[in-house]
Amino acid sequence: MIPLSHFMLISAGLFCIGLFAVLTRRNAIQVLIGIEFMINAAVLNFVAFGKYDKISGGGQMFALFAIVLAAAGVAVALAIILNVYKYFKSIDPSKTNTLKD
Amino acid sequence: MEGINFTENRSLVALLAAILPLFSFVFILSSKKGGGASVALSTITLSFLLSMYLFLQIWNLEPEHKQISWFIIGNVQFYAGVLLNNLSVLMMVLVTGISVLVHIYSREYMKNDPNIHRYWAYLGLFCFSMLGLVISDSLLLIYLFWELVGFSSYLLIGFWFSKHTASQAAKKAFIMNRIGDLGFLTGIMIIYTKFQTLDLHSLFGEGGLISTSTFESNFWISGSQQMPAIWLSIAGFAFFLGAMAKSAQFPLHTWLPDAMEGPTSVSSLIHAATMVAAGVFLIARIYPVFDPLVLDVMVWIGAFTAFMAATIALTQNDIKRILAYSTISQLGFMVMALGIGAYSESIFHLTTHAFFKCLLFLAAGSVIHQLHHYCVRNSHDFDYQDIRLMGGLRKRMPIAFWGMCIASAALVGLPLTSGFLSKDSILISAFEWAAAREGIFIVLPWLMVLTSWLTAFYIFRLIFKVFFSESREIKTDKMMQISDSPGQMTYVLLILSFFCTFIVFSVNPATFEASWLWKGFQVTSIKEISIFHWLAPLILNLGAFALILITYSIYVPGREPKLMQDTWLYRISNREWFFNEIYNFVLIRSIEKLSLLTYGFDRIIIDGIVNRMAALTQTISVISDWFDRKIIDGLVNSTGSLSRYIGRFFRNFQSGRLQHYLTTMLLVVLSFFILSYLI
Amino acid sequence: MGEEQIIFYFFAASVLISALCVVVMKNLVRSIFLFFVSLFSLAALYLFALADFIALAQVVIYAGGVLVLMLFAFMLSNRELLNSLKPAGSGFKVNHFAGILISLLFLFILVTVIVKTDLNQLDWMQESVPIHVNDNSTHQIGIHTMTAYLLPFEILSVFLMMVLIGAAHLARKGGRA
Repeated sequence: MIPLSHFMLISAGLFCIGLFAVLTRRNAIQVLIGIEFMINAAVLNFVAFGKYDKISGGGQMFALFAIVLAAAGVAVALAIILNVYKYFKSIDPSKTNTLKD
Repeated sequence: MEGINFTENRSLVALLAAILPLFSFVFILSSKKGGGASVALSTITLSFLLSMYLFLQIWNLEPEHKQISWFIIGNVQFYAGVLLNNLSVLMMVLVTGISVLVHIYSREYMKNDPNIHRYWAYLGLFCFSMLGLVISDSLLLIYLFWELVGFSSYLLIGFWFSKHTASQAAKKAFIMNRIGDLGFLTGIMIIYTKFQTLDLHSLFGEGGLISTSTFESNFWISGSQQMPAIWLSIAGFAFFLGAMAKSAQFPLHTWLPDAMEGPTSVSSLIHAATMVAAGVFLIARIYPVFDPLVLDVMVWIGAFTAFMAATIALTQNDIKRILAYSTISQLGFMVMALGIGAYSESIFHLTTHAFFKCLLFLAAGSVIHQLHHYCVRNSHDFDYQDIRLMGGLRKRMPIAFWGMCIASAALVGLPLTSGFLSKDSILISAFEWAAAREGIFIVLPWLMVLTSWLTAFYIFRLIFKVFFSESREIKTDKMMQISDSPGQMTYVLLILSFFCTFIVFSVNPATFEASWLWKGFQVTSIKEISIFHWLAPLILNLGAFALILITYSIYVPGREPKLMQDTWLYRISNREWFFNEIYNFVLIRSIEKLSLLTYGFDRIIIDGIVNRMAALTQTISVISDWFDRKIIDGLVNSTGSLSRYIGRFFRNFQSGRLQHYLTTMLLVVLSFFILSYLI
Repeated sequence: MGEEQIIFYFFAASVLISALCVVVMKNLVRSIFLFFVSLFSLAALYLFALADFIALAQVVIYAGGVLVLMLFAFMLSNRELLNSLKPAGSGFKVNHFAGILISLLFLFILVTVIVKTDLNQLDWMQESVPIHVNDNSTHQIGIHTMTAYLLPFEILSVFLMMVLIGAAHLARKGGRA
């Protein structure tokens, strides 16, 4: 039997790796991958807690929804990245600074 | 006759007589230009008639003194009122009478002047102030009118103010008179401090405060008051100084010749007959205040003035200037007479002098008037006041000539004239006074005799030059154009000529004791008849006749001794004893030196201090500037730059980069975690 | 330690290491394939949580959807995009330290919280019924989807359609972006 805390530690590690990718990568696609890692870390937690909730099955259901949403997000994000490239001729997020006033 | 209503109140009549010319002044000034002659003449004539009425009412009868409360300062009440005695009414008649004549004369003389209405107005103001001066009963009021007289004199001397010399002369007269006024004011203050009143009657009248005050071991005591005796002398000197300026006595005489820049009629009225007599009048009015010391000074100043002015008149060439110096000389006679105690003689001479000097001036004015017209008509320009250029007018202007001859005879003191009576009375008094005092004083009467001889010389020099021989400028063929002045002017000359004869003043042409006027002022009627009563006139007239003959022999053939002009005596006389130069040198230069000194003081000390202060202030301001710049501005700027740095720092977070935003957000979350964990 | 634990920790290590490699790796194509490794390993970990349907969905959606989408996105787009995806610059930049620091701090906080929490003593866990290994979870999910979670399910389906349209619109070639 795997203890719940081990799932959570793994999930924390995965989250932090994703966070690192989001913070430091110079490539929008890798940033996107970082986001996916973070979503997956959350899904892992859902699933781990869902193990103790058989009646309502909330953990597994929301894990499923989260996966679907993540997939949708990836689709939109890739489309956005393509447009960003068209506009800036770069997908380096540090070069897209038009949010600056 | 409304005069009857005034019988009980003669003061009101006097007041009315004085106010009438003021009314004329105000009326003419407020009415339109160019007129005023009839108003001025009618008011002054009315004033003259009222004065005559008063004269008949008061002369040798009861004096009139009416006063009302004027104002109160502290516990002291000041009165304003009218004091009419023999002296007042005589002066009133004199002033108004001569004024009437001069007014008539002026109508013709000033006819073509564009500012004629101003002239009439000023004459009105002068008559008002002179009459006010004469009838006032308080020293303060006299002082007030004294100033007004000076002011109207200033206006009239500077009547042709567009002429530079005229305005200068007016200023000179005004300033000279100011010196005298200062003396007068000092005297008033001393008297007021002493007696707490300025009322003439209570001060100088019979049994007044002055005569009852006594001296005790160098203290001047009156009632409970006492002050050092010297103050009486100082007060006397102060009043005398005022009189000196007004009557053009020796150190302050230089304004009078310059005052001849005014119209000749004004010179005649103001600077010969009336205003200059105001000084003598003042001395006479407050006579008891003068102690023996002041009287002695008065004697010598009067005598010296008379002599000096006579010597100057010898060589002057301006007809009016000669007459002006002659006036100064005669005023010196009067002052000297007052000094020796010949009070009534002095007033007598004042009266007679007023008439004959007025006549002299008006006759001279007539000559000037005609010559001026001649110049205008022939566009022939020469100085028509210069006697060297005149001549041969005897036939052309007989009335002016005879009028001038009579007036000159009176001036010299020839028999059958009024001047014989008055001038000889003064000389006799001088001889008697000298005889009473031993020593050096014997010089005085002889000095006066010499002066009288000089008078004979200079006045006949004038007559011979103007009316005899030939004119240098006017051609004989054009001489026919000149004639006596028009009617009104000539009548005035005739009337005045009549007043220069003995008849008016005395039935006996030989002795002045018979004169009603002299008697009017003589307190002690009985006088010892001394040898001088016939000796003095004899000496005087013999010398005078001799000099007239010499003058005739010199000037009628036109043999003017050229040699004389090179001597220093001539130069002193011609340059009027260098008084203007001396004043220029002594006063102006010393004042200039003083101002240089004060300028230096101002420059070095005051400016030095100021500059030091400025430098100090500059240093302080530099320091404060530094402080302001470095400390205050530093604080402000550092606040500003601090906020700028902070802003720039926070601006970094707003980089527009998503990752930065995220970093920042996570940092905040982390900080929150760390804080909540630690606390 | 039984074989269950060995397999679990193997997959756990696989997830973390491959994820780390994905993040650190400069070559994008390689990192994308490593991303699959970690996603598959993660699906294996879901099995240990007794969520077999979720693991299956993970494999299908990520392997069949996301990965293919990513690869096609590169390949269908122009060459410049692919060129620019080449690693630019070298090594760690200064701001990498900030990222590392923040990530490590987060890790520290999460680990601290997890360690401090006594997970087995949670109230709701005491009362709940755990999933048994023999339970048919797919059946359960199907029932739940059509009963309790019908509304989220329908919303999600609409949402997915919107995403489909939106992504297609955004990715349109030559469109007004």
